[in-house]
Amino acid sequence: MTENKLRVLVLDDEPIVCKRLKPALEKLGFAVDTFTQSVEAMHQVQQSAYDIVITDLKMKEVDGMRFLEEVKKRRPQTEVIVITGFATMETAKQSFQKGVFDFIAKPFKLSEIQDVVTRAAAKIRGAGA
Amino acid sequence: MWQVLQNLWNRISRPKPDLLAFPEIFEHFQALLADDQRVMELIADLGEKSGGEYIFDRKYLIDTTEEIQTLLLRMVKGVNLITANRYPDLYQAIDRIFIPLGAELRGRLLLSKEMPLVIPLAEAPQDRPELIGGKASHLAVAIQNLNLPVPGGFIITTRSYRLFLEHNHLEERIHALLESWVAGEHDERQVSRQIQYSILAGVVPREVAGDIRRQAEKSGGDWAVRSSAYGEDGELSFAGLHESLLHVPARGVIKAYKQVLASLYSPEALVYRQKMGMLGEEAAMAVLCQEMIPSRASGVVHTLDVSGRESDCLVMFASWGLGRTVVEGTGPADRYVVERDFPHRIRSQEIARKEKLVRAMAGGGEEEVPVPGEDQSRETLSEATVEALGRWALILERYFKRPQEIECAIDQAGNGWVLQARSLQLPKPTAPLRQDICETCALYPILIQDVGVVAHAGVGAGVVAHVSADADMDRFPEEAVLVTKYTAPWLARIVPKAAAIVAERGSAAGHLATIAREFRVPTLVGVERAMEILAAGMKVTVDTKQRTIYAGRVKELIQYELVQSMAFEDAPEFRLLRRILARIAPLHLLDPQDQNFTPGGCQSVHDVIRFIHEKAVEELMDLPRFVKRFKGVKIFTLVSDIPLGLKILDLGGGIAPEAQGTRLLPEHIRSWPMKALWEGLSSPGVWSTEPVPVDFQGMMSSLSKTVAVTPGATTVSGFNLAVISENYLNLHLRLGYHFNLVDARMETEAPRNHIYFRFVGGVTDLTRRSRRAQLLEKILSQFHFKVDTKGDLVVAKVLHLPREDMEQRLQLLGRLIGFTRQLDIQLRRDDDVPDFVEAFFHQNSPLGEKPPEGGSYDGK
Repeated sequence: MTENKLRVLVLDDEPIVCKRLKPALEKLGFAVDTFTQSVEAMHQVQQSAYDIVITDLKMKEVDGMRFLEEVKKRRPQTEVIVITGFATMETAKQSFQKGVFDFIAKPFKLSEIQDVVTRAAAKIRGAGA
Repeated sequence: MWQVLQNLWNRISRPKPDLLAFPEIFEHFQALLADDQRVMELIADLGEKSGGEYIFDRKYLIDTTEEIQTLLLRMVKGVNLITANRYPDLYQAIDRIFIPLGAELRGRLLLSKEMPLVIPLAEAPQDRPELIGGKASHLAVAIQNLNLPVPGGFIITTRSYRLFLEHNHLEERIHALLESWVAGEHDERQVSRQIQYSILAGVVPREVAGDIRRQAEKSGGDWAVRSSAYGEDGELSFAGLHESLLHVPARGVIKAYKQVLASLYSPEALVYRQKMGMLGEEAAMAVLCQEMIPSRASGVVHTLDVSGRESDCLVMFASWGLGRTVVEGTGPADRYVVERDFPHRIRSQEIARKEKLVRAMAGGGEEEVPVPGEDQSRETLSEATVEALGRWALILERYFKRPQEIECAIDQAGNGWVLQARSLQLPKPTAPLRQDICETCALYPILIQDVGVVAHAGVGAGVVAHVSADADMDRFPEEAVLVTKYTAPWLARIVPKAAAIVAERGSAAGHLATIAREFRVPTLVGVERAMEILAAGMKVTVDTKQRTIYAGRVKELIQYELVQSMAFEDAPEFRLLRRILARIAPLHLLDPQDQNFTPGGCQSVHDVIRFIHEKAVEELMDLPRFVKRFKGVKIFTLVSDIPLGLKILDLGGGIAPEAQGTRLLPEHIRSWPMKALWEGLSSPGVWSTEPVPVDFQGMMSSLSKTVAVTPGATTVSGFNLAVISENYLNLHLRLGYHFNLVDARMETEAPRNHIYFRFVGGVTDLTRRSRRAQLLEKILSQFHFKVDTKGDLVVAKVLHLPREDMEQRLQLLGRLIGFTRQLDIQLRRDDDVPDFVEAFFHQNSPLGEKPPEGGSYDGK
């Protein structure tokens, strides 16, 4: 059963986001890796395939938008969920155009992101079946 | 000629510059109400965020604080416009609150004068480990929130440390020496010796020394002087790297203080900090001074077996005499394996042969002496002591959400003491769990899932206990799961004992939710049918993070949470939020008659908006001004059998358009809250017109009473006013010698709704009036109000209920206003109070409003 787990990568430069999301998603049955450094996350997605990627849009080093482009380029079937503290319609639209699965504005509830990830997982499993 | 007369009239009738015309007053008053509402919503939001269900960042805190400040400034401007600039001091009040708030948000408060140099443990701020260090923070919680027996003491804060460095010009010297070590010019021993020498030779600044002496001389006994460095008991372990000095007499504390400071620069501490990459960061040391406990025996409790052999057990080690033997492991100690489940039975014990013990020497210092023969192979801890230590250890673990290591002492009288408590450092290999948490949890039956609102996030397990009445609270078992219909404010007393709370109704922004967060008790509200599904006596595990309740004790989940998950409460964002909330949310100004009810008395944002609201309404009630200002404004007079002399001012939508002239019949009222209140007040039998028999004392008191001394009185009597709109009611009602104020909002969205009720005064002596206050408290709390009484003042609030529940409560207030009108005269003895409560419920039961079983909704 463990091999069937969907793999989730979380990238947010605020450590608290990673620390809260990891156990919340693990308890839903996902295998979760978290990164606060975008360079490391970039390196990781180049090495390894993820089913779901959750990323912040505004970070210090790599722009979240560039990161999600890279993810989609390497593995188009990866579902990307964008979180950001700077919620505007413009960034939301922009990220949707890049094939983002959903968009969540900070502050958000843990149950909200759990719902979105569960929906993304259902889509992946549906497509794979 | 006509023109001349017209001009003359205009000049006479023009309002004086200090009085605004009605439409403007009206506009400002409405804006004030709207801003007041918005600020309350933002405060409630911040409170909810502190429960752990939300992920937020510092930016959210900054934005919210800024929005509150903007609203507040607008409100201060508004109230000053209405009152002809009577409260300019409110601007200072705002500065007083927001300047430190801003510094807090920028992380720059630490060195400010607001921070103490020395502070007693019992008063120390819990959310400032950077000020008092990790060790002292833990113990402050243990004393203040958890009520554990911790020896008293005080903390010499990091602010004192910085002042000490500054005073002795040590900062640069230390920096230069550390650089020379990193550059390889000197080894750590040389550098350490030089820094330590400088610290020991330094002079403790006079204000610090004075504070230390004052505290140290409070106790006749000796002191334990220990390090409490920031981060010391947190993720990193500096265990044993810093100095602890025992048996220090009061006069020696200052010297000991310097010795402990110097230990921050011991060779071992330097090497450790370099290894952890912390050398670049500024080290700061707080020092904790605690009263020494002359201990007969000492022990250490681990809430998890570090060796990994025993699962779901506590492990205790104990030996005779002072703690050194067992803490430092210098001698053999008894080992007890104890069940985590209450009453913490001993599962197994290994009694060591204890030949020596360490004890205090007369005149200072310690000595090692032989243990008397019969004690050598005797167990150190009795079953009762084991049970108490186990209970305390788990209380600490539940609060800190990490496995704990606790140092304890048993004094000569056999009483147990908690000396230290810290997170237990687990050996790394135990970190990754063998089994998969999702798969393991799936093996347990789920009772409730995806229902309810998270008031505090976390996992707790225990036996279900239903609480519906006071009597249930006394029976509430330790570490049980509290299941209740309403989140009644009076449940607060048992919150610290609960492993988790599940309520069918209530709000995450209410009073009980705030208390649950204070004690970090996982809490889920709005769980329909919880009382039915979770039967009393069942063992359950409540995971409010996943909004899931399992049957049975999911020990893997509990361990996962302790070891794998983070205690969000200790994250910097949450600490910051709690510190901000402490300057925003508490309400200190309860009583408008109190001498502190001034702009200068406002300590929090809540105080400021409370003050403004009171004063704005008071201004409207000021009759002479009122008459001038409201000339030409339509004020209705309510015509009814009940002789209230009530004038009604409609802000919009409160009165039916068909009302003609200035006289109004009750059926023309459209304002929801006013209508509900009137229904209660005009119910049959409520407005008793029979004269109340007055006894002699009551009569004398009533004769000597004058309006001027009546608390809560407006300046002119005989004038009752309701300001209403479709959803709003503000009613000032003087009946005889007492005074009612009702402020209520009733909308379709429950979170916007509130009722605020204030009742004060009376015709008789204070004792009788206080009896009436007690009576009101009893009745109102049965109807879910949060009630505060002070003498004859009653302040009751209820929040966030659906419209129909608000309606019911306003009807109740209407009836209470009628019922209590002359009641103080009749309340001759304390024993009369319950009879009248009974009479009220009896009299009012035909209306179908028996007190709902089991407590109350949230009021705050």
